[in-house]
Amino acid sequence: MSQAAQPIPALQPTPAPPPTGTLVLEHVSRWYGNVVAVNDVTFEIGPGVTGLLGPNGAGKTTILHMLAGLLRPSAGTVLVAGQSAWRNPAVYRSIGLVPEREAVHDFLTGRAFVEMCARLQRLPEPRAAAARAIATVELESAADRPVGTYSKGMRQRVKIAGALVHEPPILLLDEPFNGMDPRQRLHMIALLRSMAAAGRAILFSSHILEEVERLADQVLVIHAGRLAAAGNFREIRRLMTDRPHTFVVRSSDDRRLAAAFMAQPAVFGTQLDDGRLTVQVAEFGGFTRAVATVARDAGVSLFEVAPTDDSLESVFAYLVSRR
Amino acid sequence: MIFSEVARVTLRALLGRRRTILMLLLAGIPILVGLLVRANSSGVSDVGPTLDGLVIRIVLPLVALVFGTAALGSELEDGTAVHLLTKPIRRSTIVLAKVAVAGTLTALLLVPSTVIAALLIGRAGVGSEAALAMGVGVLVGSYVYVAVFATLSVLTSRGLIIGLGYALIWEGLLAGVLPGSQAFSVREYVRGIAELLAPSTMDSMGGGAGALYAAVALVAAIVIGSLRLAAYEVRGAE
Repeated sequence: MSQAAQPIPALQPTPAPPPTGTLVLEHVSRWYGNVVAVNDVTFEIGPGVTGLLGPNGAGKTTILHMLAGLLRPSAGTVLVAGQSAWRNPAVYRSIGLVPEREAVHDFLTGRAFVEMCARLQRLPEPRAAAARAIATVELESAADRPVGTYSKGMRQRVKIAGALVHEPPILLLDEPFNGMDPRQRLHMIALLRSMAAAGRAILFSSHILEEVERLADQVLVIHAGRLAAAGNFREIRRLMTDRPHTFVVRSSDDRRLAAAFMAQPAVFGTQLDDGRLTVQVAEFGGFTRAVATVARDAGVSLFEVAPTDDSLESVFAYLVSRR
Repeated sequence: MIFSEVARVTLRALLGRRRTILMLLLAGIPILVGLLVRANSSGVSDVGPTLDGLVIRIVLPLVALVFGTAALGSELEDGTAVHLLTKPIRRSTIVLAKVAVAGTLTALLLVPSTVIAALLIGRAGVGSEAALAMGVGVLVGSYVYVAVFATLSVLTSRGLIIGLGYALIWEGLLAGVLPGSQAFSVREYVRGIAELLAPSTMDSMGGGAGALYAAVALVAAIVIGSLRLAAYEVRGAE
């Protein structure tokens, strides 16, 4: 914790990408009254898929809404395609936003909704553009039904079609996988990947590690309004598994096992209370590999080895604390 | 094209079945009263005050309140407005289209109802003049009320309650007691316009002033609504 804060690795290799597809936050904070939702966040992302990972309430939606010009940053600068997003409707030529909560009028058919989006974008051929977008999200069979009859996954897809009908270089998605079944999820992952391959900058939020792992090239980890880590997924994963862990161990002879553990360099503390042995280790992998051998050498039978704090919440808290 | 696109989806949204039936019932009340008056007498001479108490005081603000707040505030609440707000279009176009549609719906329901009621209530020779004056008053009032209530629903998520308070308490009670408050009462503008067209039907703040205030209020509401919508922030989702 006393180590110097490491700079966040640059997510975009030099030279700088064209400004049309970039999202920049510079020392951005946003507070509601006394509550700080986003706290001094700085990042820059370009083409490719970037995952905004964090627990619920971490500030992911607030960040997306600021990028989409629907919230004013309390401090700092938000730039989308080189322009400020706040009070600047022209920026919506470059952005497609897929909000999580926001509804689509139930009485519109999917096609009518997407065509409305196309006309509001002043596209020269709104019908053709809408048909293309509907085909992209594979919603043709349901396109002429009212949105009121759609499943949650279909609603999500029609919102995506509406957001990409003008083929924006930037796509912002808030929890796009919520409410989707596994098959829809796979399809969505393939869809977003192909759009990123076409050169778009795609930023999506999620509180589920596995979703981000499968889709994102780059990850921004947000916890309690702060940027906890940024980089590619493998780096983030390593940071998460290399952190100190606490295990609870039950065995035939806890006292003897505790002494044996203390001889291990990976272990920096043991505690015996209420008949429970708690072991603090510096590194997850090293300890889990060594624990069986140590017990056998000490002549102790292991009944249970359980990590105590493997929740995503504690992972995020750790990442914030080490910055 | 943008205007008509916003107008079209607003119209569909406003014509929900339950709301339409309720508003039709409200618009039918003046006609019903007219029929009752007609059935029991040969009509009255003071058409203005009779319709004032019913149409201008109650039915017009209620219908305009429902349509005005539904056109903007409800869509901001349920999030459907986000699909309009995240398009490269001027926010004033959105407000203008919404006020135009909601105002026209209000007028379409209430102008015929007012004219028919005036013709039914009025004694021979009085009715037609009053019908024209009240009809025009209600026509203008529809748009002014809707603009005020739509803007109110952008300013606050409690637009419906505050609008109701404005119509019932401010306009209904205080405007009669405090003469200065008439300048901020849409009901007084409507009465003024009716007086301007048929001086015998109404005794108001003065017809010229009424028409002028109505125009100022309409423009002011649309400008304030547009400015506020341009700086609209989604309410905290987290």
